[in-house]
Amino acid sequence: MTLAFVGGTHRTVPLALRERLAFSAEQAAEALCRFRDRFPGREVVLLSTCNRVELYAAGEEAAVPPPAEQLVSFLAECRGIDAAVLAPVLARESDEAVVRHLFSVASGLDSMVLGEPQIVSQVKQAWALAQRTETAGPLTGGMFQAALRTAKRVASETALGRERLSIPSVAVADFARGVFERFDDKRVLVIGAGKMAHETLRYLREAGARDIVVVNRTADRADRLAARLGGRPGRFADLVAELAAADLVVSTTGASEPVVPADLFARAETGREGRPLVVLDLAVPRDFDPAIGARPGVWLYSIDDLGAACEANRRSRQREMPGALAIVDEETRRFMGDLHHRSTAPVIERLRAGWTETGDAELDRLFRRVPSLDDAARAEIRQAFERYAAKMLHSPLASLRNESRSGPPHGLLDALKRLFDLKE
Amino acid sequence: MTEFISGISVVCFAASYLVALACEASRPLFRSGLRGAVLVGFATAGFLAHTLFLAWRAAHEPNVPLSSAFDWYLLAAWLLAGGYLWLLVANPRTQVGLFLLPVVLGLVGAAQLSSRAPFPQSPATQVWGVIHGSFNLAASVAVAGGAVAGLMWLIQATRLTRKRTPAQGLRLPSLELLAATTDRAAWIAAWTAAAGFVSGLVLNAVNRQRGLLETVPWNDPVVLRMGMLVAWLIAAAIATRALARRPEAARVAAWLSLASFVVLTASILWGVLGTTRHGVPPTQASALREVVP
Repeated sequence: MTLAFVGGTHRTVPLALRERLAFSAEQAAEALCRFRDRFPGREVVLLSTCNRVELYAAGEEAAVPPPAEQLVSFLAECRGIDAAVLAPVLARESDEAVVRHLFSVASGLDSMVLGEPQIVSQVKQAWALAQRTETAGPLTGGMFQAALRTAKRVASETALGRERLSIPSVAVADFARGVFERFDDKRVLVIGAGKMAHETLRYLREAGARDIVVVNRTADRADRLAARLGGRPGRFADLVAELAAADLVVSTTGASEPVVPADLFARAETGREGRPLVVLDLAVPRDFDPAIGARPGVWLYSIDDLGAACEANRRSRQREMPGALAIVDEETRRFMGDLHHRSTAPVIERLRAGWTETGDAELDRLFRRVPSLDDAARAEIRQAFERYAAKMLHSPLASLRNESRSGPPHGLLDALKRLFDLKE
Repeated sequence: MTEFISGISVVCFAASYLVALACEASRPLFRSGLRGAVLVGFATAGFLAHTLFLAWRAAHEPNVPLSSAFDWYLLAAWLLAGGYLWLLVANPRTQVGLFLLPVVLGLVGAAQLSSRAPFPQSPATQVWGVIHGSFNLAASVAVAGGAVAGLMWLIQATRLTRKRTPAQGLRLPSLELLAATTDRAAWIAAWTAAAGFVSGLVLNAVNRQRGLLETVPWNDPVVLRMGMLVAWLIAAAIATRALARRPEAARVAAWLSLASFVVLTASILWGVLGTTRHGVPPTQASALREVVP
C-alpha cells in the first residue's frame, strides 16, 4: 500500500500562481473523473481552498499511485499551467509523511491563520466530492476519517481554535460581550464608512444587534451606507444626540482630526443617564479623543488595543502547538499501525484458510472412521478443532500486529509464508 | 436506604463541594476533557447529599424543622449551592463556582461552629418564628449572592479597563448581567432583612406580652447587630438606586455589595462568638442573665 501527495500552499506558491491553480467544485469533480479514467484502481482526493491545492493519492500493491512527477503533470494539465512552472513550488510526500501532513492540515496547524476552523469543513467537502466521483476508496477513506478525528481531538483537547484573531471578532466577542449581556435591545451607532465597519457589524448582528444607525459627514453617503449595512441613516449634525442614545459605537472615518473630541462627548454624556458605552474606534488616526476612555462607564478600544489583544491571542495559539502536534503524532502512529496491519490481511487470510482446510480434512477423515458419532458429538469436536486452531494462531497474529506498529512487517510476513508454505 | 441517608454527614457534601472548587480553580491552569464531567459530578453529588442531609434532619426533628442555627447556615449554603449548580449547567463556560463555592463552604463551616439545638418555640409564636427565620435566611443568601456578583463585576471591569482578552478558563458573565444581579440582590437583601428584623421584633413583643418564652432585651448584641445590618443594607440599597443614573453606579454598587457581605460576616461572627439571649432556651437564658449583667 502506498500513499502519495503533491500540493502547494500559501507558503510555497505565489498568489498569482495559486489563483490559476485553484479548482472550483466543478473543476475538481472533472479532474477527479479524469484521474479515475487515467489511473484506474487508484484512489485520489483533491483539496482545493484559497490557500492550498493538494492531491492525495493512494493505491494497493497491485495499483500503486502514480509517481509524484506524474501527479504534478496531472495537476498542471488540469489547470492549463506549464508543469515546469508548477514543479518547483509543489511539495511531494509519501506514506507516513502524507498522513502526518493531512492530519496537520485538517487540524488547522498548516493554515495561514493557525487553528482556523473552516479547514475541517473544506477537508470534509473534498472527501465527499471524491466519494461522489468514486475516486475515494478504503485507503483514502480511512485516512480522511482519521484526519477528521484528529482535528476533533485537537479542537477539544487544546485551546488552539478558542481565541479569536481578527480585530472585529475580538472587538465583539472579547470586549463588547464582556460589557453587554444581549445586543437586541442596544443601539449601535456606526460613524464613517471604513471597511472594518461592515465586518464588525456582521459579528454584532450575529450577536443579536438590530437597531443600527449610520452617520456620515455626507448625507447621501450615510443613506447608501445605511442601506448597505442594514441600518437606518442618521444626521451627522445630530452626532451628540446619537452618541447620547447609543450603547455601542463603531467608528471608522478617514478624518485626520478626532471626530468626537472630549468636549463633544461631555455634551453627549449628560444625556446618557449613566448607561455604559462601548466604543470601538477602528479608525486611523483615531476618531475618539483617548481621554474619553477614562470617563466612568465608557469602554473605549482603539485599533491598537484590539490589535494587541489579537496578537496576545495569536501567541496563546502558538503555545498550544506542542500539544496539538503531539496529538497529530499519536494519531499518525495509530493510523500507520492500522495501515501496516491491514497489509498483512491477505497473509493472515491464507494462513487461516490453510488451517481450516487441514482441520476440515482431518475432521472428515475422523467422522468417516467413527460413524457412530451423533450430530451433537460432531459439533463439539468441530468446535474443539476451531478453538485449537484459533489458539495456535493467536501468538503469531499478535506478533504480526505488534510488529505492524513500527512499520510494514515484511520479515515476519516472509517467514510466515515460508514456514507455512503460503502461496500468493 | 434509610441507613444510607442517615449516614450522610456534613463532611460528605463539604468534601464534594471542595473537590468541585478544586476543579474550578484548576481551569486556568490546564485544559482537560474530563474535568467538566468531574466538576458536574461532584457538584451534583454534593448538592444531593446536602439535600438528603437537610431532609433527614427536617423529618427527624421533633420541633419545627430546621430551626437551629446549624440548620439555618446549612439552608443558606444549600440555596447558594443550588444556584451554583443551576449556573454550572446553564452556562458551563463561566466560572462562577470559583466565587460562589467558597461562600457555600464558609457557611458550612459556620454551621459546624453553631449550635444544633433548636431555637426555643411556643405554638403561639411558631408562625412568627418561621417568618423571622425565613426572611433572615433570604437576606443572607441575597447578600452573599450580591457580593459574589459584585466581586465578579470588579474583576471583569478591571479586565476590560486593561483591555485584556479573557484569561483561559476564567470567563465571567457580562457587566450588564452582573450589575443587574448586584442591584436586585441589594434590594432583596434590604427588604428581607428589614422584614426579618420587624418580624423578630413582633416575635419578641408577643413573647413578652404573653409571657410565653424568655424575651430578648432590646440591647442584646443580636438585636443591635441585626439592627445595624438592616440599617446598612437599606442605606446601601437606597444609595445604589440613587446613583442608578450615574455612570459610576455599577462600580459603587459592586463595592457596596462587598461591604454588605463584610458587615454580614462580621455580624455572623459576632453572633457565633458573642454572648446573647437570642435563640437560647429559657433555662439557659436565666443562667445567662446571672452571668451577664
